[in-house]
Amino acid sequence: MELRVIDKTDEELRIEIAGEDHTFMNVLKGQLLNTDGVAAATYDMNPEQSGGQTEPILSVKTEDGLDPLDALGEAATGISDNLADLYDRIEAAFDDAAAEA
Amino acid sequence: MADDFDVEVVTRDDRSARLLVRGLTPAVANGLRRTMLSEVPTFSIDTVRFVENSSVMFDEMVGLRLGLVPLTTPLDDYEVGESATLALDVEGPATAYSGDIETSDDLVQPADENVPIIELKEGQRLEFEADAVLDTGKEHAKHQGGVAVGYRHLQRVTVVGDADEFDEEEPNILRGVIETEDGELVHTEEFDADLTNRHPGKELEIEDVPSAFVFHIESDGSLSVDELTLRAVQSLRDRADELAEKVAV
Repeated sequence: MELRVIDKTDEELRIEIAGEDHTFMNVLKGQLLNTDGVAAATYDMNPEQSGGQTEPILSVKTEDGLDPLDALGEAATGISDNLADLYDRIEAAFDDAAAEA
Repeated sequence: MADDFDVEVVTRDDRSARLLVRGLTPAVANGLRRTMLSEVPTFSIDTVRFVENSSVMFDEMVGLRLGLVPLTTPLDDYEVGESATLALDVEGPATAYSGDIETSDDLVQPADENVPIIELKEGQRLEFEADAVLDTGKEHAKHQGGVAVGYRHLQRVTVVGDADEFDEEEPNILRGVIETEDGELVHTEEFDADLTNRHPGKELEIEDVPSAFVFHIESDGSLSVDELTLRAVQSLRDRADELAEKVAV
């Protein structure tokens, strides 16, 4: 995963996240949209019909003075925490099923 | 993201499971499905050095077939890109099966013993040495650990009353897993996927349960279903961690 900031203002961010595809980008977008202070978030897998650009570009717009990079960090941590919880739950469910069998 | 996950194993056997997960967003559900298919690495034969191939198939065709043989994958012991050596020597008349393959590491061996590689007639012989490489389904579909990974919404079936006496009884086909009024989880195969078998002469209401997904996960035998699922969650989480770390710098 290589990050490259393309545009950055106080409320807007366009960043290239190289090496990722829909698998992670869509999860990230979903989480950003559920983050407080994020006004808009989207990603483009094939910007400008791929004029050489083949890596996804994430666009984030924030409000209420939230720095978009902070929003991105917060979303990433949020996903990680959620998945850690999910991991434990799935592990427990499989263990329960194995114990019953 | 909806918090408070609730996970339940609906059915499971050796190589497949149905897993109900509540509290997921569609994005995460799809992320998981995609990760199980394309990001969890498995071993697969990638390079073959033929010593003798007097069978009726060209080396390339035998090579292709070998790539498709699922191999058990000890993910704790190997990194992506590392390889293990396998070999086979069968002389006709006989059929060369995946079970005839010898391996350098007992942990990496054919997941099934009865995959036919090629039938050899009298005087034909197949002998080779091969390298199996650990890689992901993104690189090549032969490295996919999950064969049929998908999900459906959980559906809630409620009896709202009796059907009109003179209504023609039509089949009411439903696939997947349903939740009954008392919260029981029933796979529709149990009543032949036709709700009129389960509730004859009743009027029913069927609705999708929000943010509840029933995953059907089937493994090709290279990994157990548990490991495939958990590794997928972990792989997705690793990427979130990596992003968080890079953004913080």
